[in-house]
Amino acid sequence: MDKLYSLSAKSMKELLDKKEVSSVEITKSVIERIEKTDKDVCAYNSYNFENALKNAAAIDEKRAKGETLGALAGIPLAVKDNIHVKGLKTTCSSRMLENFVAPFNATVTEKLNASDAIIVGKTTMDEFAMGSSGESSKLAVAKNPWDTSRIPGGSSSGSAVTVAASQVPFAMGTDTGGSIRMPAAYTGIVGLKPTYGTVSRYGIIPLASSFDQAGPMARNVDDLAMLFNAVCGRDKMDAVTKNYTFEGYGDSVKGMKIGVPKEYYGEGVQPAVKERVYAAIETLKCQGAEIIEISLPSTEYALAAYYIIQCAEAASNLGRYDGLRYGFRGSNTSNVEDLYLTTRSEGFGDEVKRRIMLGTCVLSSGYSDAYYKRAKLLQQNIAKEFTDAFKTCDVIITPSIALTAWKFGEKSGNPAEVYAADICTITLNIAGLPGMSVPCGFDSTNNMPVGFQVIGKKFRESDVLTVAKCYENAVGGFAVKEF
Amino acid sequence: MKIDIRHIAKLSKLSIPEDQIERFEKEMQSIIQLVENLPEIEGKATAVDTENTMELRADEVVASASREDMLMNAPQVAAGCIVMPKVVE
Repeated sequence: MDKLYSLSAKSMKELLDKKEVSSVEITKSVIERIEKTDKDVCAYNSYNFENALKNAAAIDEKRAKGETLGALAGIPLAVKDNIHVKGLKTTCSSRMLENFVAPFNATVTEKLNASDAIIVGKTTMDEFAMGSSGESSKLAVAKNPWDTSRIPGGSSSGSAVTVAASQVPFAMGTDTGGSIRMPAAYTGIVGLKPTYGTVSRYGIIPLASSFDQAGPMARNVDDLAMLFNAVCGRDKMDAVTKNYTFEGYGDSVKGMKIGVPKEYYGEGVQPAVKERVYAAIETLKCQGAEIIEISLPSTEYALAAYYIIQCAEAASNLGRYDGLRYGFRGSNTSNVEDLYLTTRSEGFGDEVKRRIMLGTCVLSSGYSDAYYKRAKLLQQNIAKEFTDAFKTCDVIITPSIALTAWKFGEKSGNPAEVYAADICTITLNIAGLPGMSVPCGFDSTNNMPVGFQVIGKKFRESDVLTVAKCYENAVGGFAVKEF
Repeated sequence: MKIDIRHIAKLSKLSIPEDQIERFEKEMQSIIQLVENLPEIEGKATAVDTENTMELRADEVVASASREDMLMNAPQVAAGCIVMPKVVE
């Protein structure tokens, strides 16, 4: 059977369950596919092929013996390079951690192993997950399969690309301000940022701990749900996780109330994006949803609040990279102060330095009240506005990003403009809400994918996936790039 | 807000070469512009989500990582310890 790699995870599972194919056959097909295409899309920082084949053979043996198998048994997937997989490098696409080997598994990895999934490699990302284009990686720089001269979006750039280029059926990403949803939208796949506290952060290198959340990326809603179900739930190693059980999802939006906040459809959003998102809302209306206009006025301050809190937490989190215990160490240094400076200045890229400096600045004496404290107050207001809005609707729909994938280098030298592109996604991290990017056609000016974002109430991933599934059925499935 | 790159870099334990100060200053200034227009807002911020409080695990002694695992990534090791430069002259 050829093209096994291109199957959905659901189809792979069906064939495996019927013993029509083996996990070794699927894994070999995926490896060949990656070897053939990754030089063009550069989705990976490192491969795990040898272990993958060994694990696939072990799972085939378990299956032959009739042993109980996990929900993802024998299905290959990829993991973002900020999630620890014991014995493999966790680089965060940074020179600072270029040679860092994970000494333990993240809880997400433990859960994937318990599900008998096959991890084929670690996907590239923006350095320390700081970025929304994928360009800040100091290792592999992933390219958009729809047009390799364009950015794939970030920070989970490699995970989006490996899925969009049909190298694997699904992959794990992480999202601090849109890092799952933005690359999903830019590459025409689905990506879910779950409610804060549904997926354990243990063993995932932190960016801003109060926003960070890992989640699944896939080419269709069923596969995304399969992966989400495998990784969610309470973990005693992460105190914010809840006793959460994913309740599954339907495919009908009949009677569902969809809120459309006018603040997310302003001048900053490109007309071609708006056109596609409005068309998607119309489709859902035809499926029986009720559309309600709502208002979230604090959105205009969200970007400021987000970058203040995120950079403050990032500056604190990245204080640990001092060259002493692990990671890169600067050479030819005369004393310990010099060692800190040399290590950090040579180990971090410019984007990381900018965010550390912004975070340090807003937390410094004389500024913390004016910036950090006010940002935290705004965070409360933004969250409250969502709570109030959800009294009148079940889900909210916005664009996932205000624009479509740009050409590499087009926005370099203008970090503030790139930051501003995050406006649609960051509010969910601020409020801790679940959100999913769903493909809804192409930008008529450049033929690049457009995505809309479904936002749900806290812990109501079921509602979010129901809307996505209904839309997917209504449009007859999502386009896959022949690559 | 005017940003003093030399001062902030020092606080951040970063050294920015003289020939890059101007570029960083320009970039940081545009980022500051993005974040500085916050509304006057009064109130008391709570650091935690009061409706979804943290659940701590029991404080139990369990097996954790070995010394070898923890030293595996250290840049320089001697006699089971991490080697670092002299702190006191």
